[in-house]
Amino acid sequence: MKTKAIKIAVTCVVLAAALGGLMYTTLQGGTEYYIHVDEVMQNPSAWQDKRLQLHGFVADLRQRPNSLEYKFDVQYNGKVIPARYTGVVPDTFKNASEVVLKGKLQDGGFSVEPNGVMAKCPSKYNPQTAAGS
Amino acid sequence: MPALGSFTLLATFLVASYALAASIAGGRRRSRALIESGVGAFYMTAALMAVASGIIIHAFVTDNYAIKYVQHYSDAAQPLAYKITSYWGGLDGSIMFWVLLLSVFGTIAVASNRERHRELIPWVVAIMAATEMFFIFIMVVHNNPFSTFVASAPAEGKGLNPLLQNFYMAIHPPSLYTGFVAMTIPYAFGMAALITGHLDDAWLRAVRRWTMIGWLFLTFGLTLGMLWAYEELGWGGFWGWDPVENAGLLPWFTATAFLHSVMVQERRGMLRVWNVTLVITTFFLTIFGTFMTRSGVVQSVHAFGEDRWLAGLFSGFMIVLLTFSFGYVIYRLPLLKSRHELDSWVSREAAFLANNWILLFSAFFILFATMFPTLSEAVRGQRLTVGPPFFNQWMRPIGLVLLILTGIAPLLAWKKSSAANLVYQFTWPVAMTMVTAAGVWALGIRVWSSGICFAFCAFVGTTILQEFIRGAAVRKGASGSDYFTALVGLVSRQQRRYGGYIVHVGIVLMFLGFAGQGYKSEQDMKLSPGEQGSVAGFTVRQDSISVTSDDQKQMITGHVTVFRNGKEIARMTPARWFFAKHESQPTTEVAIRRAPGEDVYIVLAAYDIGTQNATYAVTVNPLVNWIWLGFGILAIGTGIALLPERAFAFAASRVPEGAVTTTLVLLLLLLPGAAQGQTVIQKDALRKQIEGDLMCTCGGCLAPMNNCPMAGACHGLKEQREKVDRLIEQGMNREQIKAAFVREHGGVDVLTAPPDEGFNRLAWALPYVAGATGAALAGLVAYRWTRRPAEPDAPVAANADAPAEDALAARLDDELRDLD
Repeated sequence: MKTKAIKIAVTCVVLAAALGGLMYTTLQGGTEYYIHVDEVMQNPSAWQDKRLQLHGFVADLRQRPNSLEYKFDVQYNGKVIPARYTGVVPDTFKNASEVVLKGKLQDGGFSVEPNGVMAKCPSKYNPQTAAGS
Repeated sequence: MPALGSFTLLATFLVASYALAASIAGGRRRSRALIESGVGAFYMTAALMAVASGIIIHAFVTDNYAIKYVQHYSDAAQPLAYKITSYWGGLDGSIMFWVLLLSVFGTIAVASNRERHRELIPWVVAIMAATEMFFIFIMVVHNNPFSTFVASAPAEGKGLNPLLQNFYMAIHPPSLYTGFVAMTIPYAFGMAALITGHLDDAWLRAVRRWTMIGWLFLTFGLTLGMLWAYEELGWGGFWGWDPVENAGLLPWFTATAFLHSVMVQERRGMLRVWNVTLVITTFFLTIFGTFMTRSGVVQSVHAFGEDRWLAGLFSGFMIVLLTFSFGYVIYRLPLLKSRHELDSWVSREAAFLANNWILLFSAFFILFATMFPTLSEAVRGQRLTVGPPFFNQWMRPIGLVLLILTGIAPLLAWKKSSAANLVYQFTWPVAMTMVTAAGVWALGIRVWSSGICFAFCAFVGTTILQEFIRGAAVRKGASGSDYFTALVGLVSRQQRRYGGYIVHVGIVLMFLGFAGQGYKSEQDMKLSPGEQGSVAGFTVRQDSISVTSDDQKQMITGHVTVFRNGKEIARMTPARWFFAKHESQPTTEVAIRRAPGEDVYIVLAAYDIGTQNATYAVTVNPLVNWIWLGFGILAIGTGIALLPERAFAFAASRVPEGAVTTTLVLLLLLLPGAAQGQTVIQKDALRKQIEGDLMCTCGGCLAPMNNCPMAGACHGLKEQREKVDRLIEQGMNREQIKAAFVREHGGVDVLTAPPDEGFNRLAWALPYVAGATGAALAGLVAYRWTRRPAEPDAPVAANADAPAEDALAARLDDELRDLD
């Protein structure tokens, strides 16, 4: 009985270690920092080239004619980051709409990865989100 | 009215607390009178909740905007159906709907188990009444759906969001709620068994069925959610690992685990602690899912309001629930001792155990990943998120292992499989797996996960087929009947087992669809009129863009023609609709051309009406329709497993010959009657409608007939009007006239709006077709059986002269004796 208990314990430890290790390594590659514009602007260089999910509001949205290239500003709490994106945008993506952008902060501003624009979904439960809160 | 509603809620709370008190007192004193009184009070909560629901629905239908909730989620222009479904459209109403469902389900469960499980009933009632009280409490003090405006009431409602004014969205939430709420009943019975110490397997029998029902509705709700995301949101996929979606998936995993491990307990008396734990966990996860989506704990792109107070209430309830439940489990551990130990790892119970661990691991993995942002913020002060790639990275291998276990487990014998048995069982399936793998490789699919998935699907499919064929062959030999009768006899003798196999077929089909996602192709193309773009063998040509409008909305429609190998296969019309009051949020109307092989999925991403240029996001989604078909099969399988155990026997013995035929004929006679019951529209109104339906064909204006900018001088328009009049005179209806124009014009682009996709939703029809086929089959069975009333239901084991089948025969016999 005792050897059995030891066997079970060893199996569990090995399994847990393997899963934990795997989880850790995959988390390294899979995580993104969820952050607001003002937090980034406190120390922009620290966030350079990290995978971010940038939360803010769209302003000054421009589209190059006859293309899917967009340039716009993301603002939050008075801070602004210029951003660019190429691709199809969601219906709700316009000036003053609340967005979460996936991408990296680079020298020329925030570059959004393909399909990286998530406009806040209109929800059943709370159709009007308090802007900027 | 609102006052009456609030009062009804309060009354329900009081009655529920009385049911709780009377049941506990009755259970402890073993007083029949008190228990009966508690049961009666519980029935009454169902009646009261029905009244409260009636009041809120009445308020919605009569546009009573004095009630805040009504004002928030409906407006006068909304169709009646959406006014009614707005009942569960918001937080407050959804909680009320939850209580209604619980009281109704609870009533049914109590009424049907009252005699069989007499000693459990008071505690079952007490647990359900306590749960009801929690939710009613939330409503009364915090989220009262009947609260009114203090000052004057607004004259108009805000209206339900157009994205949610959709068929799937109307039935997806109630289906999920039904699944969630049904899980309360197993929990109530499980806790009652723990409290009373009646921990024999009787309570399992009472809850198995409810878990199955809950599981079916959960699956249905999840599938509808996928369909909605696929057809409405326009990003080309159906599952984005959003916290709200995950919340529905968590209890699904644990309920699936329970449905499997319960068999091990019934057969072998093992896993008793485990089963109780799963029932508790499933219930806990339904509450946790509600908490997660309503309290704003998890940041989601769905902007759920953050609500500290509600979060606190739910946390309190969950802590009490866990302490109480697991406290009792620990207290009753001596009674929950296993009757057997695991004999061998090469046995069915071991495979079920492995399946359980993996399912439970999936649930906790998803829970962990969903909560990760919240956790990391709490631990490190920084909000780290994990995206769909992380989920996929983990869930892909997990899903594949689950899939292969689906195939392996039924092939293994209980207790221990012998080597000969393994060879006998695995030869064919493994061979088929190899063949499929080679075939997939030859076809040039190089996505490892999809390739393995196809091979595994072949494996599982073959095992199921093998089970059916061999089982029927043995039965045929024993009873001397023909193959078909033997097959039906097999299924009817062991509905749960063969129903379960049919569920597995559905799961395999769904996995085919998931595997197809591994190699889908997407392409954004910007096209001017006449220009073409291509993706994955399909060529898309831009034709034109039209602007039309009706009472509710303005519609921008892109007209494209899709070619494959140079041949035209479809004209498609992706669109954007701008609803009145919601102009800033146009809805994307995806155009989908469905086919078993792959869907062509086109979204109108950007447009320029002046130049008629448009940008389309085109996705080619392989095999996606098999997911919806898979659900249809799965539902049929669950239905068979759920049938009362004597249903088939009843059909065989009582139905007189000819009854089936008569019923079918009657049904056929009724169908056209229903179809003819359409409303007759007045001619003038009809003309107006049609002018909105058809494009002006004069060639230049790209407007509907009733909006042609050149109306005064447009020659073509006049002719077209005359033609419409002529067709109306001939007695044609709206659809017929539209069809006539499409025929003459040579394409649907003469219509202002794409033909109602509702009729083209192949995927939707499939479950119904499958269901009808199933019903027809059942009818056929009943018919055949009535011709052979004296068929002996002899045990199958008597088949001694086929030595090759010995092992299987013994196994079948073993299970026939034991399972049903």
